[in-house]
Amino acid sequence: MPRSSHLWAALKFIAPLALLLLLWELLIRTFGVSPRVFPDVESVARAGFESIQDGSLLRHTGASLWRVAVGTVLAILISIPLGVAMGVSPAVSNFLTPLFRFFSVLAGIAWIPIATLWFGYGFGAITFVIFNAVFFVVTYNTLLGVASIPLPLRHAAASLGASKWTMLTEVLLPGALPNIVTGIRTGLGFAWRGLIAAEMIATNVGLGYMLFLARDFYRTEVIVFGMVVIGILWLLLDRLLLAPLERATIERWGMVRKA
Amino acid sequence: MKRLVLKDLSKTYFDPYAGAHVTAVQEVSLEVKQGEFVSVVGPSGCGKTTLLNMIAGFIPASGGEILLDERAVDGPGPERGVVFQSFALFPWKTVLENVAFGPKIRGLSRTEREKIAREYLDLVGLANVAERYPNELSGGMQQRVGVVRALANNPDVLLMDEPFASVDAQTRMTLQEELTRIWQERRPTIIFITHDVGEAVFLANRVVVLSKGRILKEIEVTLPRPRAWDLLTEDAAFKALSGQVLQLVRSA
Ligand SMILES: Nc1ncnc2c1ncn2[C@@H]1O[C@H](COP(=O)(O)OP(=O)(O)OP(=O)(O)O)[C@@H](O)[C@H]1O
Ligand SMILES: [Mg+2]
Repeated sequence: MPRSSHLWAALKFIAPLALLLLLWELLIRTFGVSPRVFPDVESVARAGFESIQDGSLLRHTGASLWRVAVGTVLAILISIPLGVAMGVSPAVSNFLTPLFRFFSVLAGIAWIPIATLWFGYGFGAITFVIFNAVFFVVTYNTLLGVASIPLPLRHAAASLGASKWTMLTEVLLPGALPNIVTGIRTGLGFAWRGLIAAEMIATNVGLGYMLFLARDFYRTEVIVFGMVVIGILWLLLDRLLLAPLERATIERWGMVRKA
Repeated sequence: MKRLVLKDLSKTYFDPYAGAHVTAVQEVSLEVKQGEFVSVVGPSGCGKTTLLNMIAGFIPASGGEILLDERAVDGPGPERGVVFQSFALFPWKTVLENVAFGPKIRGLSRTEREKIAREYLDLVGLANVAERYPNELSGGMQQRVGVVRALANNPDVLLMDEPFASVDAQTRMTLQEELTRIWQERRPTIIFITHDVGEAVFLANRVVVLSKGRILKEIEVTLPRPRAWDLLTEDAAFKALSGQVLQLVRSA
Protein backbone atom coordinates (compact mmCIF):
# COMPACT_ATOMS: atom_id res chain seq x y z
CA MET A 1 0.00 0.00 0.00
CA PRO A 2 1.31 3.45 -0.81
CA ARG A 3 1.83 5.93 1.99
CA SER A 4 -1.07 8.15 1.06
CA SER A 5 -3.58 5.33 1.26
CA HIS A 6 -2.34 4.49 4.77
CA LEU A 7 -2.95 8.07 5.69
CA TRP A 8 -6.37 7.98 4.14
CA ALA A 9 -7.23 4.81 6.06
CA ALA A 10 -6.06 6.38 9.31
CA LEU A 11 -8.11 9.46 8.58
CA LYS A 12 -11.23 7.44 7.86
CA PHE A 13 -10.74 5.70 11.20
CA ILE A 14 -10.06 8.85 13.20
CA ALA A 15 -12.64 11.20 11.70
CA PRO A 16 -15.75 9.60 13.23
CA LEU A 17 -13.98 9.32 16.60
CA ALA A 18 -13.12 13.00 16.52
CA LEU A 19 -16.73 13.79 15.70
CA LEU A 20 -17.85 11.69 18.65
CA LEU A 21 -15.53 13.53 21.03
CA LEU A 22 -16.80 16.86 19.75
CA LEU A 23 -20.45 15.90 20.17
CA TRP A 24 -19.77 14.51 23.59
CA GLU A 25 -18.14 17.71 24.86
CA LEU A 26 -20.86 19.79 23.22
CA LEU A 27 -23.68 17.86 24.84
CA ILE A 28 -22.10 17.91 28.29
CA ARG A 29 -21.72 21.69 28.08
CA THR A 30 -25.07 22.60 26.60
CA PHE A 31 -27.04 20.53 29.05
CA GLY A 32 -24.71 21.00 32.02
CA VAL A 33 -24.58 17.24 32.68
CA SER A 34 -23.44 16.33 36.20
CA PRO A 35 -20.11 14.44 36.34
CA ARG A 36 -21.98 11.82 38.42
CA VAL A 37 -24.02 10.96 35.34
CA PHE A 38 -21.41 11.35 32.63
CA PRO A 39 -17.94 12.93 32.66
CA ASP A 40 -16.54 15.53 30.27
CA VAL A 41 -13.72 14.73 27.92
CA GLU A 42 -11.05 16.49 29.94
CA SER A 43 -11.71 14.65 33.21
CA VAL A 44 -11.64 11.34 31.38
CA ALA A 45 -8.28 12.26 29.94
CA ARG A 46 -7.10 13.29 33.40
CA ALA A 47 -8.33 10.03 34.92
CA GLY A 48 -6.45 8.18 32.23
CA PHE A 49 -3.31 10.14 32.87
CA GLU A 50 -3.53 9.53 36.62
CA SER A 51 -4.06 5.82 36.18
CA ILE A 52 -1.00 5.67 34.03
CA GLN A 53 1.04 7.66 36.53
CA ASP A 54 0.10 5.65 39.62
CA GLY A 55 0.57 2.39 37.71
CA SER A 56 -2.98 1.16 38.27
CA LEU A 57 -3.75 1.03 34.53
CA LEU A 58 -0.74 -1.15 33.92
CA ARG A 59 -1.64 -3.40 36.83
CA HIS A 60 -5.27 -3.88 35.73
CA THR A 61 -4.44 -4.25 32.06
CA GLY A 62 -1.60 -6.63 32.83
CA ALA A 63 -3.83 -8.83 34.97
CA SER A 64 -6.53 -8.91 32.29
CA LEU A 65 -4.17 -9.67 29.43
CA TRP A 66 -2.41 -12.35 31.43
CA ARG A 67 -5.69 -14.15 32.10
CA VAL A 68 -6.65 -13.90 28.45
CA ALA A 69 -3.27 -15.22 27.36
CA VAL A 70 -3.30 -18.19 29.76
CA GLY A 71 -6.93 -19.12 29.06
CA THR A 72 -6.54 -18.75 25.31
CA VAL A 73 -3.26 -20.60 24.96
CA LEU A 74 -4.51 -23.48 27.11
CA ALA A 75 -7.73 -23.65 25.12
CA ILE A 76 -5.95 -23.59 21.75
CA LEU A 77 -3.46 -26.25 22.81
CA ILE A 78 -6.25 -28.61 23.70
CA SER A 79 -8.91 -27.73 21.16
CA ILE A 80 -6.88 -28.00 17.95
CA PRO A 81 -5.73 -31.61 18.48
CA LEU A 82 -9.18 -32.51 19.77
CA GLY A 83 -10.90 -30.85 16.82
CA VAL A 84 -8.60 -32.60 14.35
CA ALA A 85 -9.09 -35.97 16.00
CA MET A 86 -12.86 -35.58 15.86
CA GLY A 87 -12.92 -34.11 12.37
CA VAL A 88 -11.00 -36.98 10.81
CA SER A 89 -13.93 -39.34 11.18
CA PRO A 90 -17.11 -38.15 9.42
CA ALA A 91 -19.26 -40.19 11.76
CA VAL A 92 -17.73 -38.68 14.89
CA SER A 93 -17.78 -35.17 13.50
CA ASN A 94 -21.42 -35.41 12.37
CA PHE A 95 -22.35 -36.70 15.78
CA LEU A 96 -20.51 -34.04 17.76
CA THR A 97 -21.04 -30.97 15.57
CA PRO A 98 -24.43 -29.93 17.07
CA LEU A 99 -23.03 -30.32 20.55
CA PHE A 100 -20.07 -28.07 19.92
CA ARG A 101 -22.17 -25.58 18.05
CA PHE A 102 -24.42 -25.39 21.11
CA PHE A 103 -21.54 -24.76 23.48
CA SER A 104 -20.02 -22.29 21.04
CA VAL A 105 -23.02 -20.01 21.18
CA LEU A 106 -23.08 -20.17 24.97
CA ALA A 107 -19.97 -18.00 24.64
CA GLY A 108 -18.02 -16.97 27.71
CA ILE A 109 -20.41 -15.02 29.88
CA ALA A 110 -22.87 -17.80 30.57
CA TRP A 111 -20.12 -19.76 32.30
CA ILE A 112 -19.45 -17.14 34.99
CA PRO A 113 -21.83 -18.44 37.69
CA ILE A 114 -20.59 -22.01 37.37
CA ALA A 115 -16.98 -20.83 37.20
CA THR A 116 -17.24 -18.94 40.49
CA LEU A 117 -18.94 -21.91 42.11
CA TRP A 118 -16.17 -24.25 41.04
CA PHE A 119 -13.12 -22.05 41.35
CA GLY A 120 -14.15 -19.38 43.84
CA TYR A 121 -13.25 -15.78 43.13
CA GLY A 122 -10.04 -14.96 41.32
CA PHE A 123 -7.68 -16.12 38.62
CA GLY A 124 -9.07 -19.65 38.26
CA ALA A 125 -12.67 -18.66 37.65
CA ILE A 126 -11.85 -15.94 35.16
CA THR A 127 -9.35 -18.02 33.24
CA PHE A 128 -11.92 -20.80 33.11
CA VAL A 129 -14.45 -18.44 31.54
CA ILE A 130 -11.92 -17.42 28.91
CA PHE A 131 -10.87 -20.99 28.34
CA ASN A 132 -14.45 -21.99 27.64
CA ALA A 133 -15.10 -19.06 25.37
CA VAL A 134 -12.14 -20.02 23.20
CA PHE A 135 -12.22 -23.78 23.63
CA PHE A 136 -15.63 -24.59 22.20
CA VAL A 137 -15.45 -22.17 19.32
CA VAL A 138 -11.96 -23.27 18.25
CA THR A 139 -12.76 -26.96 18.65
CA TYR A 140 -15.94 -26.51 16.64
CA ASN A 141 -14.17 -24.61 13.90
CA THR A 142 -11.24 -27.03 13.75
CA LEU A 143 -13.66 -29.92 13.52
CA LEU A 144 -15.52 -28.13 10.74
CA GLY A 145 -12.28 -27.23 8.99
CA VAL A 146 -10.95 -30.77 8.96
CA ALA A 147 -14.31 -32.24 7.96
CA SER A 148 -14.58 -29.82 5.05
CA ILE A 149 -11.23 -30.77 3.52
CA PRO A 150 -12.23 -32.42 0.23
CA LEU A 151 -11.76 -36.18 0.43
CA PRO A 152 -9.68 -36.28 -2.78
CA LEU A 153 -7.03 -34.15 -1.04
CA ARG A 154 -6.67 -36.75 1.68
CA HIS A 155 -6.69 -39.50 -0.93
CA ALA A 156 -4.06 -37.66 -2.95
CA ALA A 157 -1.74 -37.41 0.06
CA ALA A 158 -2.28 -41.07 0.95
CA SER A 159 -1.49 -42.09 -2.63
CA LEU A 160 1.72 -40.11 -2.50
CA GLY A 161 2.73 -42.19 0.50
CA ALA A 162 1.83 -39.88 3.38
CA SER A 163 2.02 -41.41 6.84
CA LYS A 164 -0.56 -40.54 9.50
CA TRP A 165 1.76 -37.88 10.87
CA THR A 166 2.43 -36.36 7.44
CA MET A 167 -1.28 -36.37 6.77
CA LEU A 168 -1.79 -34.41 9.98
CA THR A 169 0.92 -31.83 9.48
CA GLU A 170 0.76 -31.41 5.71
CA VAL A 171 -2.94 -31.84 4.96
CA LEU A 172 -5.28 -31.74 7.95
CA LEU A 173 -3.77 -28.82 9.84
CA PRO A 174 -3.07 -26.54 6.86
CA GLY A 175 -6.43 -27.49 5.36
CA ALA A 176 -8.24 -26.56 8.54
CA LEU A 177 -6.10 -23.50 9.27
CA PRO A 178 -8.44 -20.87 7.79
CA ASN A 179 -11.24 -22.23 9.95
CA ILE A 180 -8.97 -22.47 12.97
CA VAL A 181 -7.91 -18.85 12.65
CA THR A 182 -11.50 -17.75 12.23
CA GLY A 183 -12.35 -19.76 15.32
CA ILE A 184 -9.60 -18.14 17.35
CA ARG A 185 -10.74 -14.71 16.27
CA THR A 186 -14.36 -15.39 17.17
CA GLY A 187 -13.42 -17.14 20.40
CA LEU A 188 -11.19 -14.32 21.54
CA GLY A 189 -14.02 -11.88 20.86
CA PHE A 190 -16.24 -13.91 23.19
CA ALA A 191 -13.42 -14.27 25.68
CA TRP A 192 -12.74 -10.57 25.85
CA ARG A 193 -16.38 -9.80 26.67
CA GLY A 194 -16.54 -12.68 29.11
CA LEU A 195 -13.37 -11.44 30.76
CA ILE A 196 -14.70 -7.99 31.51
CA ALA A 197 -17.96 -9.37 32.85
CA ALA A 198 -16.21 -11.97 34.98
CA GLU A 199 -13.77 -9.43 36.37
CA MET A 200 -16.67 -7.31 37.58
CA ILE A 201 -17.86 -10.16 39.72
CA ALA A 202 -15.01 -12.41 40.56
CA THR A 203 -11.79 -10.55 41.33
CA ASN A 204 -10.05 -7.52 42.74
CA VAL A 205 -7.76 -6.65 39.87
CA GLY A 206 -8.29 -6.27 36.12
CA LEU A 207 -10.00 -3.87 33.73
CA GLY A 208 -13.49 -5.12 34.56
CA TYR A 209 -12.78 -4.69 38.23
CA MET A 210 -11.44 -1.20 37.60
CA LEU A 211 -14.78 -0.23 36.05
CA PHE A 212 -16.80 -1.82 38.78
CA LEU A 213 -14.79 -0.28 41.58
CA ALA A 214 -15.09 3.19 40.05
CA ARG A 215 -18.84 2.78 40.00
CA ASP A 216 -18.89 2.46 43.79
CA PHE A 217 -17.30 5.92 44.04
CA TYR A 218 -19.33 7.54 41.26
CA ARG A 219 -16.08 8.02 39.31
CA THR A 220 -17.75 8.11 35.90
CA GLU A 221 -14.56 9.45 34.32
CA VAL A 222 -12.69 6.28 35.36
CA ILE A 223 -15.53 4.11 34.08
CA VAL A 224 -15.53 5.80 30.70
CA PHE A 225 -11.77 5.72 30.51
CA GLY A 226 -11.84 1.98 31.25
CA MET A 227 -14.41 1.41 28.54
CA VAL A 228 -12.23 3.24 26.07
CA VAL A 229 -9.21 1.14 27.05
CA ILE A 230 -11.19 -2.11 26.71
CA GLY A 231 -12.39 -1.12 23.26
CA ILE A 232 -9.00 0.03 22.05
CA LEU A 233 -7.19 -3.05 23.32
CA TRP A 234 -9.62 -5.30 21.48
CA LEU A 235 -9.36 -3.25 18.31
CA LEU A 236 -5.58 -3.44 18.43
CA LEU A 237 -5.59 -7.17 19.05
CA ASP A 238 -8.13 -7.81 16.32
CA ARG A 239 -6.88 -5.40 13.68
CA LEU A 240 -3.16 -5.87 14.16
CA LEU A 241 -3.01 -9.59 14.88
CA LEU A 242 -6.14 -11.62 14.20
CA ALA A 243 -7.62 -10.02 11.11
CA PRO A 244 -4.34 -9.96 9.14
CA LEU A 245 -3.70 -13.58 10.13
CA GLU A 246 -7.12 -14.59 8.92
CA ARG A 247 -6.79 -12.67 5.70
CA ALA A 248 -3.34 -14.10 5.02
CA THR A 249 -4.43 -17.72 5.33
CA ILE A 250 -7.67 -17.39 3.44
CA GLU A 251 -6.64 -15.10 0.61
CA ARG A 252 -3.26 -16.59 -0.11
CA TRP A 253 -4.69 -19.98 -0.84
CA GLY A 254 -7.81 -18.68 -2.49
CA MET A 255 -9.80 -20.73 -0.06
CA VAL A 256 -13.01 -19.07 0.97
CA ARG A 257 -14.50 -20.81 3.91
CA LYS A 258 -17.30 -19.88 6.19
CA ALA A 259 -17.23 -20.71 9.88
CA MET B 1 8.41 -57.19 -14.60
CA LYS B 2 5.73 -55.61 -12.40
CA ARG B 3 2.22 -56.67 -13.15
CA LEU B 4 -1.12 -55.53 -11.83
CA VAL B 5 -3.55 -58.41 -11.55
CA LEU B 6 -7.22 -58.21 -10.64
CA LYS B 7 -8.82 -61.53 -9.73
CA ASP B 8 -12.60 -61.82 -9.53
CA LEU B 9 -12.78 -58.36 -8.04
CA SER B 10 -16.23 -57.41 -6.72
CA LYS B 11 -17.81 -54.56 -4.83
CA THR B 12 -21.27 -54.38 -3.32
CA TYR B 13 -22.56 -51.20 -1.73
CA PHE B 14 -25.44 -50.98 0.65
CA ASP B 15 -27.84 -48.36 -0.60
CA PRO B 16 -29.61 -47.00 2.50
CA TYR B 17 -32.35 -45.30 0.42
CA ALA B 18 -33.33 -48.40 -1.47
CA GLY B 19 -32.57 -50.53 1.57
CA ALA B 20 -30.82 -52.98 -0.74
CA HIS B 21 -27.37 -54.04 -1.85
CA VAL B 22 -26.06 -52.71 -5.16
CA THR B 23 -23.38 -54.61 -7.02
CA ALA B 24 -21.15 -51.97 -8.62
CA VAL B 25 -18.31 -54.23 -9.73
CA GLN B 26 -18.79 -57.93 -10.36
CA GLU B 27 -16.00 -60.48 -10.68
CA VAL B 28 -13.68 -58.36 -12.75
CA SER B 29 -10.46 -60.09 -13.77
CA LEU B 30 -7.82 -58.10 -15.57
CA GLU B 31 -4.09 -58.17 -16.09
CA VAL B 32 -2.06 -55.06 -16.80
CA LYS B 33 1.59 -55.46 -17.74
CA GLN B 34 4.32 -53.01 -16.92
CA GLY B 35 4.37 -50.13 -19.37
CA GLU B 36 0.90 -50.81 -20.71
CA PHE B 37 -1.66 -48.09 -21.28
CA VAL B 38 -5.14 -49.42 -20.58
CA SER B 39 -8.36 -47.44 -20.92
CA VAL B 40 -11.50 -48.51 -19.12
CA VAL B 41 -14.61 -47.17 -20.78
CA GLY B 42 -18.29 -47.62 -20.05
CA PRO B 43 -21.56 -45.80 -19.50
CA SER B 44 -22.28 -43.78 -16.40
CA GLY B 45 -22.81 -45.93 -13.34
CA CYS B 46 -21.13 -49.04 -14.77
CA GLY B 47 -18.63 -49.13 -11.91
CA LYS B 48 -15.55 -47.41 -13.37
CA THR B 49 -14.85 -45.17 -10.39
CA THR B 50 -15.58 -47.99 -7.97
CA LEU B 51 -13.06 -50.20 -9.79
CA LEU B 52 -10.38 -47.52 -9.74
CA ASN B 53 -11.00 -46.63 -6.09
CA MET B 54 -10.48 -50.25 -5.12
CA ILE B 55 -7.20 -50.43 -7.02
CA ALA B 56 -6.13 -47.14 -5.43
CA GLY B 57 -7.02 -48.60 -2.05
CA PHE B 58 -9.54 -45.89 -1.18
CA ILE B 59 -12.32 -48.43 -0.66
CA PRO B 60 -12.06 -52.10 0.28
CA ALA B 61 -13.16 -54.78 -2.16
CA SER B 62 -16.09 -56.99 -1.23
CA GLY B 63 -14.49 -59.96 -2.93
CA GLY B 64 -11.53 -61.02 -5.04
CA GLU B 65 -7.96 -59.83 -5.06
CA ILE B 66 -5.75 -57.05 -6.31
CA LEU B 67 -2.13 -58.05 -6.76
CA LEU B 68 0.66 -55.68 -7.66
CA ASP B 69 3.90 -57.45 -8.35
CA GLU B 70 2.46 -60.58 -6.69
CA ARG B 71 1.66 -58.67 -3.52
CA ALA B 72 -1.88 -57.98 -2.29
CA VAL B 73 -2.89 -54.34 -2.27
CA ASP B 74 -4.09 -53.00 1.05
CA GLY B 75 -5.04 -49.33 1.32
CA PRO B 76 -3.54 -46.44 -0.65
CA GLY B 77 0.20 -46.42 -1.34
CA PRO B 78 2.83 -44.55 -3.31
CA GLU B 79 3.35 -47.41 -5.78
CA ARG B 80 -0.13 -46.57 -7.13
CA GLY B 81 -0.24 -42.92 -8.16
CA VAL B 82 -3.62 -41.29 -8.71
CA VAL B 83 -4.75 -38.41 -10.91
CA PHE B 84 -8.11 -37.02 -9.85
CA GLN B 85 -10.92 -35.54 -11.90
CA SER B 86 -11.06 -32.66 -9.41
CA PHE B 87 -7.24 -32.22 -9.66
CA ALA B 88 -6.94 -32.41 -5.84
CA LEU B 89 -3.93 -30.11 -5.67
CA PHE B 90 -3.07 -28.81 -2.22
CA PRO B 91 -4.16 -25.15 -2.29
CA TRP B 92 -1.70 -24.20 0.48
CA LYS B 93 1.29 -25.54 -1.43
CA THR B 94 2.86 -23.90 -4.45
CA VAL B 95 2.90 -25.78 -7.73
CA LEU B 96 6.49 -26.78 -7.05
CA GLU B 97 5.69 -27.96 -3.52
CA ASN B 98 2.75 -29.96 -4.83
CA VAL B 99 4.93 -31.83 -7.32
CA ALA B 100 7.75 -32.21 -4.81
CA PHE B 101 5.42 -33.60 -2.14
CA GLY B 102 5.81 -37.27 -3.07
CA PRO B 103 9.63 -37.07 -3.16
CA LYS B 104 9.49 -35.13 0.12
CA ILE B 105 7.58 -37.98 1.75
CA ARG B 106 10.20 -40.38 0.39
CA GLY B 107 12.73 -38.40 2.39
CA LEU B 108 14.59 -36.62 -0.39
CA SER B 109 16.40 -33.41 0.49
CA ARG B 110 14.97 -30.09 -0.58
CA THR B 111 17.44 -29.63 -3.43
CA GLU B 112 16.91 -33.15 -4.73
CA ARG B 113 13.15 -33.05 -4.65
CA GLU B 114 12.92 -29.58 -6.15
CA LYS B 115 15.20 -30.65 -8.95
CA ILE B 116 12.91 -33.56 -9.71
CA ALA B 117 9.81 -31.39 -9.46
CA ARG B 118 11.24 -28.79 -11.85
CA GLU B 119 12.20 -31.49 -14.31
CA TYR B 120 8.64 -32.80 -14.33
CA LEU B 121 7.13 -29.33 -14.57
CA ASP B 122 9.38 -28.78 -17.57
CA LEU B 123 7.92 -31.88 -19.15
CA VAL B 124 4.52 -30.19 -19.33
CA GLY B 125 5.79 -26.66 -19.94
CA LEU B 126 4.95 -25.32 -16.52
CA ALA B 127 8.40 -24.44 -15.19
CA ASN B 128 7.47 -20.77 -15.25
CA VAL B 129 4.59 -21.14 -12.80
CA ALA B 130 6.44 -23.26 -10.22
CA GLU B 131 6.15 -20.62 -7.50
CA ARG B 132 2.45 -19.95 -8.04
CA TYR B 133 -0.42 -21.35 -6.03
CA PRO B 134 -2.85 -23.75 -7.76
CA ASN B 135 -5.78 -21.34 -7.61
CA GLU B 136 -3.83 -18.95 -9.84
CA LEU B 137 -3.73 -21.54 -12.65
CA SER B 138 -6.25 -22.48 -15.33
CA GLY B 139 -7.96 -25.86 -15.12
CA GLY B 140 -5.77 -27.32 -17.85
CA MET B 141 -2.61 -26.16 -16.10
CA GLN B 142 -3.84 -27.51 -12.77
CA GLN B 143 -4.42 -30.94 -14.26
CA ARG B 144 -0.96 -30.93 -15.84
CA VAL B 145 0.34 -30.36 -12.33
CA GLY B 146 -1.89 -33.19 -11.11
CA VAL B 147 -0.41 -35.54 -13.69
CA VAL B 148 3.24 -34.72 -13.02
CA ARG B 149 2.70 -34.72 -9.26
CA ALA B 150 1.71 -38.35 -9.58
CA LEU B 151 4.50 -39.12 -12.07
CA ALA B 152 7.21 -37.45 -9.98
CA ASN B 153 6.66 -40.13 -7.37
CA ASN B 154 7.59 -42.86 -9.84
CA PRO B 155 4.57 -45.08 -9.23
CA ASP B 156 4.38 -48.61 -10.62
CA VAL B 157 0.88 -47.82 -11.86
CA LEU B 158 -0.76 -44.51 -12.63
CA LEU B 159 -4.51 -44.49 -12.01
CA MET B 160 -6.54 -41.79 -13.71
CA ASP B 161 -10.29 -41.29 -13.21
CA GLU B 162 -11.70 -39.07 -15.96
CA PRO B 163 -8.85 -36.62 -15.41
CA PHE B 164 -9.68 -34.45 -18.41
CA ALA B 165 -13.46 -34.42 -18.01
CA SER B 166 -13.62 -30.98 -16.42
CA VAL B 167 -11.54 -28.98 -18.91
CA ASP B 168 -12.72 -27.49 -22.20
CA ALA B 169 -12.60 -29.52 -25.42
CA GLN B 170 -9.51 -27.84 -26.92
CA THR B 171 -7.50 -28.15 -23.72
CA ARG B 172 -8.65 -31.75 -23.40
CA MET B 173 -7.20 -32.66 -26.80
CA THR B 174 -3.92 -30.99 -25.94
CA LEU B 175 -3.74 -32.82 -22.62
CA GLN B 176 -4.50 -36.13 -24.32
CA GLU B 177 -1.68 -35.57 -26.81
CA GLU B 178 0.68 -34.57 -24.02
CA LEU B 179 -0.22 -37.67 -22.07
CA THR B 180 0.52 -39.98 -25.02
CA ARG B 181 3.83 -38.18 -25.54
CA ILE B 182 4.77 -38.56 -21.86
CA TRP B 183 3.73 -42.20 -21.98
CA GLN B 184 5.95 -42.79 -25.00
CA GLU B 185 8.92 -41.12 -23.33
CA ARG B 186 8.63 -42.69 -19.89
CA ARG B 187 6.44 -45.75 -20.33
CA PRO B 188 4.53 -45.56 -17.06
CA THR B 189 1.82 -48.17 -16.55
CA ILE B 190 -1.49 -46.37 -16.85
CA ILE B 191 -5.08 -47.29 -16.14
CA PHE B 192 -7.23 -44.56 -17.58
CA ILE B 193 -10.93 -44.33 -16.77
CA THR B 194 -13.22 -42.46 -19.13
CA HIS B 195 -16.72 -42.49 -20.56
CA ASP B 196 -15.43 -40.89 -23.78
CA VAL B 197 -14.93 -43.58 -26.41
CA GLY B 198 -12.70 -41.44 -28.64
CA GLU B 199 -10.46 -40.61 -25.71
CA ALA B 200 -10.21 -44.25 -24.68
CA VAL B 201 -9.14 -45.39 -28.16
CA PHE B 202 -6.87 -42.41 -28.80
CA LEU B 203 -4.82 -42.97 -25.65
CA ALA B 204 -4.59 -46.66 -25.01
CA ASN B 205 -2.94 -49.87 -26.15
CA ARG B 206 -5.97 -51.72 -24.92
CA VAL B 207 -9.54 -50.65 -24.26
CA VAL B 208 -11.57 -52.47 -21.64
CA VAL B 209 -15.32 -52.03 -22.00
CA LEU B 210 -17.16 -52.20 -18.71
CA SER B 211 -20.87 -52.85 -18.48
CA LYS B 212 -22.97 -53.17 -15.33
CA GLY B 213 -19.90 -53.93 -13.29
CA ARG B 214 -18.56 -56.61 -15.62
CA ILE B 215 -15.96 -56.61 -18.37
CA LEU B 216 -17.84 -56.81 -21.64
CA LYS B 217 -14.85 -56.95 -23.96
CA GLU B 218 -11.17 -56.10 -24.28
CA ILE B 219 -9.96 -54.58 -27.52
CA GLU B 220 -6.34 -54.15 -28.59
CA VAL B 221 -5.48 -50.79 -30.11
CA THR B 222 -2.56 -51.02 -32.51
CA LEU B 223 -2.76 -47.52 -33.94
CA PRO B 224 0.74 -46.16 -34.61
CA ARG B 225 2.35 -43.62 -32.27
CA PRO B 226 2.92 -40.78 -31.82
CA ARG B 227 -0.78 -40.12 -31.93
CA ALA B 228 -2.15 -36.72 -32.81
CA TRP B 229 -5.72 -35.63 -33.29
CA ASP B 230 -4.89 -33.95 -36.59
CA LEU B 231 -3.91 -37.29 -38.05
CA LEU B 232 -6.34 -39.61 -36.30
CA THR B 233 -9.62 -37.74 -36.64
CA GLU B 234 -9.89 -38.81 -40.27
CA ASP B 235 -8.00 -42.09 -39.88
CA ALA B 236 -10.01 -45.11 -41.05
CA ALA B 237 -8.60 -47.53 -38.48
CA PHE B 238 -9.26 -45.09 -35.65
CA LYS B 239 -12.81 -44.51 -36.84
CA ALA B 240 -13.47 -48.22 -37.17
CA LEU B 241 -12.15 -48.95 -33.67
CA SER B 242 -14.05 -46.07 -32.13
CA GLY B 243 -17.21 -47.20 -33.85
CA GLN B 244 -16.77 -50.72 -32.57
CA VAL B 245 -16.19 -49.56 -28.99
CA LEU B 246 -19.06 -47.11 -29.18
CA GLN B 247 -21.43 -49.89 -30.22
CA LEU B 248 -20.30 -52.02 -27.32
CA VAL B 249 -20.73 -49.15 -24.87
CA ARG B 250 -24.17 -48.31 -26.20
CA SER B 251 -25.30 -51.90 -26.13
CA ALA B 252 -24.08 -52.13 -22.55
N1 LIG C 1 -20.82 -45.02 -1.92
C1 LIG C 1 -21.78 -45.66 -2.62
N2 LIG C 1 -22.87 -46.16 -1.98
C2 LIG C 1 -23.84 -46.81 -2.68
N3 LIG C 1 -23.80 -46.99 -4.00
C3 LIG C 1 -22.76 -46.52 -4.69
C4 LIG C 1 -21.69 -45.81 -4.04
N4 LIG C 1 -20.78 -45.44 -4.99
C5 LIG C 1 -21.25 -45.88 -6.16
N5 LIG C 1 -22.43 -46.54 -6.00
C6 LIG C 1 -23.21 -47.18 -7.06
O1 LIG C 1 -22.38 -48.08 -7.74
C7 LIG C 1 -22.58 -48.01 -9.13
C8 LIG C 1 -21.27 -47.68 -9.84
O2 LIG C 1 -20.84 -46.37 -9.49
P1 LIG C 1 -19.51 -45.73 -10.06
O3 LIG C 1 -19.36 -44.39 -9.44
O4 LIG C 1 -18.40 -46.69 -9.88
O5 LIG C 1 -19.86 -45.57 -11.59
P2 LIG C 1 -19.03 -44.87 -12.76
O6 LIG C 1 -18.89 -45.85 -13.85
O7 LIG C 1 -17.80 -44.25 -12.22
O8 LIG C 1 -20.06 -43.74 -13.23
P3 LIG C 1 -19.71 -42.27 -13.82
O9 LIG C 1 -19.34 -42.48 -15.26
O10 LIG C 1 -21.04 -41.58 -13.71
O11 LIG C 1 -18.65 -41.68 -12.99
C9 LIG C 1 -23.68 -46.99 -9.38
O12 LIG C 1 -24.89 -47.68 -9.50
C10 LIG C 1 -23.66 -46.18 -8.11
O13 LIG C 1 -24.95 -45.69 -7.84
MG1 LIG D 1 -17.01 -42.20 -12.08
